[in-house]
Amino acid sequence: MDQLLDRPWVTIVWDDPVNLMSYVTHVFMSLFGYSKERAHELMLQVHNEGRAAVSSGTREEMERDVQRLHESGLWATLQRDDKI
Amino acid sequence: MSNFEKLGTGYSLNLTLDEAHILINLVEQLLELLGEGDFFHHYDSSDPLAQLLAMPSEIVTPDDPVLLRLLPNAYTDAEAASDFRRYTEPQIRSSKQRNLRVVREELTILVDEKKGGVIEELDANIWLKALNDLRIALSVRLEIDETSFEKFELLPENDQQKPVFAVYFWLGWLQTNLLDVL
Repeated sequence: MDQLLDRPWVTIVWDDPVNLMSYVTHVFMSLFGYSKERAHELMLQVHNEGRAAVSSGTREEMERDVQRLHESGLWATLQRDDKI
Repeated sequence: MSNFEKLGTGYSLNLTLDEAHILINLVEQLLELLGEGDFFHHYDSSDPLAQLLAMPSEIVTPDDPVLLRLLPNAYTDAEAASDFRRYTEPQIRSSKQRNLRVVREELTILVDEKKGGVIEELDANIWLKALNDLRIALSVRLEIDETSFEKFELLPENDQQKPVFAVYFWLGWLQTNLLDVL
């Protein structure tokens, strides 16, 4: 049970045909403080695989991240990390 | 041709009067769709009583596809999505309205003077987000997908959607231009 409660949440960004690749990279850098290389890599993952986990943490933290991504026009959801 | 420039620590945008008119028209349409003037504007208020009175009892998933794309569900689970929407959507909506109002105010100066010109000392992040929301709104109406540019080029000149596509691609060009000078 403890393990279940501790299981982190992830923020997922989904691919869409509108957001510019350079804009998505810019948003990841400015919202999460990622390096240009890391942000670019995540943007490519969204583009090529249709989605990418861009941050992880508590549910409250991920809700805040999703809010900031929606404010920037990215299509984002949060969920429990199902890899654990 | 309009363009953004970096001047010292700030940014400027050079627009013709026609371009300023196109942009302000789109900004006003999107502000209207986002519900300018309804109870959501109370969220900008720092008065706790106004905020309390403005707390809507129910916020439902938007019917309009543009609003649904701008204010998407945060969870696949309907109940969790609804709870998130109730507490968070007003803030996201206000944030988008604030960006658009700043852009409108800066464009109004050009439009009122009835001539093109330069908007100086603009906030690049506000403009990036506002331009992005305008592109998203148009993309939903135009049903943009990966093949849209080719489709646009093949549209006959007298097709009614042709100028709207042209504006959509121009906004993308403007946004790219601003990202390039950051």
